[in-house]
Amino acid sequence: MASVSFNDVKKEFGKTKVLHGISLDIADGEFMVLVGPSGCGKSTLLRMLAGLEEITFGSIAIDARVVNELDSKDRDIAMVFQSYALYPHMTVGENMGFSLKLRNDRKDLIEKRVSDAAKILNLQSYLHRYPRELSGGQRQRVAMGRAIVRDPKVFLFDEPLSNLDAKLRVAMRAEIKALHQRLKTTTVYVTHDQVEAMTMADRIAVMNEGRIEQLGAPLELYDRPNNLFVAQFIGSPAMNVIDGVLRKSSACVEALGHRWPIGAVSGGTEGQAVKYGVRPEHVAIGAQGSISAEVVVVEPMGAETELVVKVADATFVITTHGRSDAKPGQAIALAPEAASVHLFDAASGQRL
Amino acid sequence: MKKKYLNEAFLLLMAVPILLWSLLPIYHIFLFSISNKDSAFSGALWPNEPTLRNFTHIWKQEHFYLHHFWIQIWNSLWIAVAVGALTLAIAACAAFAISRLKVRGGRTVMNLALFTYFIPAAFLAIPMYKAMGNYGLLNSQWSLVLAMVTLAAPYAIWVLKQASDKLPWELDEAARIDGATPLQLFRLVYLPLMTPSMVAIGTYALLLSWNEYLYGYLLLSHERTITLAVALGHFTAADDSPWELLMATGLVYALPPAAIYYAFRRYMVSGLTSGAVKS
Repeated sequence: MASVSFNDVKKEFGKTKVLHGISLDIADGEFMVLVGPSGCGKSTLLRMLAGLEEITFGSIAIDARVVNELDSKDRDIAMVFQSYALYPHMTVGENMGFSLKLRNDRKDLIEKRVSDAAKILNLQSYLHRYPRELSGGQRQRVAMGRAIVRDPKVFLFDEPLSNLDAKLRVAMRAEIKALHQRLKTTTVYVTHDQVEAMTMADRIAVMNEGRIEQLGAPLELYDRPNNLFVAQFIGSPAMNVIDGVLRKSSACVEALGHRWPIGAVSGGTEGQAVKYGVRPEHVAIGAQGSISAEVVVVEPMGAETELVVKVADATFVITTHGRSDAKPGQAIALAPEAASVHLFDAASGQRL
Repeated sequence: MKKKYLNEAFLLLMAVPILLWSLLPIYHIFLFSISNKDSAFSGALWPNEPTLRNFTHIWKQEHFYLHHFWIQIWNSLWIAVAVGALTLAIAACAAFAISRLKVRGGRTVMNLALFTYFIPAAFLAIPMYKAMGNYGLLNSQWSLVLAMVTLAAPYAIWVLKQASDKLPWELDEAARIDGATPLQLFRLVYLPLMTPSMVAIGTYALLLSWNEYLYGYLLLSHERTITLAVALGHFTAADDSPWELLMATGLVYALPPAAIYYAFRRYMVSGLTSGAVKS
């Protein structure tokens, strides 16, 4: 187990700057998720930690020891790849024991470690099979087993669930999380899927264009996004955002010809151009209320219902608990919860 | 339905002449090899008195041109195996260095090696002869081994490089993280995965050397050092060449390649095509 720290880490491929000075401290035993759209540099950051990419500038330390010049094999890390990267000519058992064999461990010791890991991952009966004889989920578990047997200081996951179908992904998500709770090994997990990030992480680093936009616990990011990017990236369905003008005196934002209620705002000036954001579950539907809307689509999910509605020419998504008797074309009134509204500066996107 | 039959009939109509065309020379060789000296040129489709005497002559080395048959076929064999093995060793290391380790300048070296194919092997024979002479290797069988490896290696490197480009890069990264040194990566991950292509390329080099005439003729001159291919050429030196023996020996000479090709046909097809086309 170990802590990991990135100190002003930069990465350039030729003239292209991919990472612009990332500083990030990961505590011992923490499950850190790096999340962001493709091309944001999250995988590059992980690969630099793994020793698969050169570090252009800055330093990376594992357990306070700078590893910049250290080979992958000397960093005491294990990595799970998106494509599993299992050795096709080795059995499951050989795949899992490969790293131990390379460090010349005793044969009985290797067998014991492999069978222990297989037990954790429910792979005992597959140890003599080849990867091609396994399903996607089983292969993913073998890849994890290969990481577990080494008992490394840090686990690295590079989009490990992207190749699985939706149902399996949910199951493996829970499995990885349970595994972490059991082994308590420091973990860095890269994904583009914010749901994975929200459900698995102790802390999330939301990345965009080579920078960390915000770092915090999942619900912290959800409840208080620092900027528009995080606000729209975290949460599904995404936050509704409209352009408006701040009217502090009357505690509202004027937008789309309506007055949208806001809670207590410390920043911002009267008449400032703002982005008004409200999450789908924070908009109530009622007969009364000043904001009139028209239902476009009704998406019943069972436990909740999503309504796609139009206010003037802007589209909103609203989540309601339980069933809804709304029909497409029906006129309804929206009542956003003033206390749960997010305001961002229109120009900078920063939270007010 | 009818159209399908017509199609197949047409294909068959095309295939039969092509098959005959390619089998005819082989049948001709076979015909000679089971004929007497007198009836060899009779033009019959089947000899009046088919005989296996030609083969017993070969077996017992009972002819002026066949006195060293066994040593010569042994020469052909060990030289071919040595060429196959050496080419494979060189090409596998080179392909690994160029494709997986991304050694600086590796691609340039490969392209330069391939460039030698612009010059016909027959033109290269003279400088090769001179070089072997300078090294004092003339009439040593190693000169032929080295010459054939030189001719086979560029193509072998190219095919193996193309094949190794297709191995997933993550495997190398996974092995590096698992703690493999480049040599361990080569031995434990790369070679096992390259086996099909390696079998194909090894066979290619082996057959290239087995069938080589010109270089053997140039570089080797003693009756006990020459390969069977060169020895076969000697048959026509006399005015009354023993054609039936030449053809019988030729048939024997063609058997090992046929057997090798048959044994490795699965690898040959998948290996050579998988290396040739970049998908």
